[in-house]
Amino acid sequence: MNPVILNLQLALHSRTLDRAALLLRASVSVKHPIQGSLAFSNERQYRTMPTHGIGKYKHLLPKEAPKKKKERQQMKQIKTATDAEYGTLNVKVSGYDMIIVEHYSQYIHNLCNRLGVKVAESYALPTKSTEVMVMPEQGTKMYVDAILKTHERIVQFSQLNVTLCPIFMEVMLKNQPEGVQLSVKPHTEADYQARFKARPELEGLMAQIT
Amino acid sequence: MAAPCSRMASRPLWQFITNVRRTGLKHTGVRQFSLSYACRAATQTSSKTESVASPWKLYGAVCLQRLPVISQERNPIEDQFAELMHQMELERSLLSEHEQRLLEDAERMTRKQADNYDSDEEEADYGGQETITAQDQDDTWEQNLKHFQPALRDRDVGGTPLGSVERCLGDSLVLLVQQTVAKENIWLLPQAPWEAGETLRQTAERVLSSLPEADFKATFLGNTPCGVYRYKFPKDVRTESCVGAKVFFFKALLSAGSASQKEPFLWVKKTDLQGYLKPSYLEKVDRFILNL
Repeated sequence: MNPVILNLQLALHSRTLDRAALLLRASVSVKHPIQGSLAFSNERQYRTMPTHGIGKYKHLLPKEAPKKKKERQQMKQIKTATDAEYGTLNVKVSGYDMIIVEHYSQYIHNLCNRLGVKVAESYALPTKSTEVMVMPEQGTKMYVDAILKTHERIVQFSQLNVTLCPIFMEVMLKNQPEGVQLSVKPHTEADYQARFKARPELEGLMAQIT
Repeated sequence: MAAPCSRMASRPLWQFITNVRRTGLKHTGVRQFSLSYACRAATQTSSKTESVASPWKLYGAVCLQRLPVISQERNPIEDQFAELMHQMELERSLLSEHEQRLLEDAERMTRKQADNYDSDEEEADYGGQETITAQDQDDTWEQNLKHFQPALRDRDVGGTPLGSVERCLGDSLVLLVQQTVAKENIWLLPQAPWEAGETLRQTAERVLSSLPEADFKATFLGNTPCGVYRYKFPKDVRTESCVGAKVFFFKALLSAGSASQKEPFLWVKKTDLQGYLKPSYLEKVDRFILNL
């Protein structure tokens, strides 16, 4: 008997609580969406207290965008040349000695910063190794004498002022160290795509589809 | 350090005279020039015929520079610092593979020569001798290095003449020629009078191609002049239609070229210009030549 009564009582209580919760849920969702979890707990009774929700601060912070998955790398817009400025230009520094090549590219980057030329990107291309094979006079078989590695660094800047350009070029050329080749070219999409690795399995699948 | 590109347009005296032009020059030089300053792509051959003539004669000149071929010599302080840094890096560095091999080989040799040498144990560990040891490789490389002769850094040892392009490889040099101006033989940057219907840059190119006994291939830096020098003729030569002359300088970098060793040419550093150019001329020219 007693457990039955207890059960009945519990059922009644739960039903009333449910109804109360249903009534209150609307208001809860409007005002305190974060407190949805508190709908069924005992803190409801302190809503009348003046200190209700005293520790809350999240509503004061600026709304942050919902965190989305990292987007695929998109190419930055290639600027075109206008009458007063050059478009996106690539300065490629290449050579055998990595230290000198890197120092020179850093020098160019710093020079751009100083002269107010905006540097869009500064990256390195993969190192290319060249094997030097030597064929001795007596034999026919060539053997490897040395491996030379060519390092390349690219500094990409946009909106180079046309009046500044000759001075800039002159300074760059006068400070070019020995053993380093410099080339300035406009940036193209093909250059951008060349940086990515080829994906043979993807290409195979695409070929299968078409 | 920056060349005064913005200071180029000095305001000429526009004298409006209606008599017939004696020199036959259409003095739209300044007008052309300012247009080319604003828009680089268009070559200014559209010269408006104007009946006004400016009293200034125009010349186009070229400042041909040879870029330094090798890096400059270091100061004593720089030398000391470089040595110090090199020493520090050496002390902090780790042994490379080759050096480790050398040490291992040396160690193995000492162990071989010791009395209690157990060749089976050694071979088991190592797995057979190599045909070329690291020390042998080292020796062959040293031999190769001895055969290699680097070129002399300073070719001025024999006293190359001032007219040679190959002097002072560490500095940038400027070309000077001797021309007769106002019945005087003076050293200056090569110049030629401007002719109607061409841009000043074309004048400068013409100057370069018309230099006697020399053929220089140069790339011009930009369409705009980098400096200007104006001077008034002495009172007795001055007439109504030509008060003086203005020389517009264009910068160019030498890409290839040769010249016979005749005297008219001089390749000088910026610091040596003082000995050859007139002071007022030098003042203006100094401003746009970078001494890097």
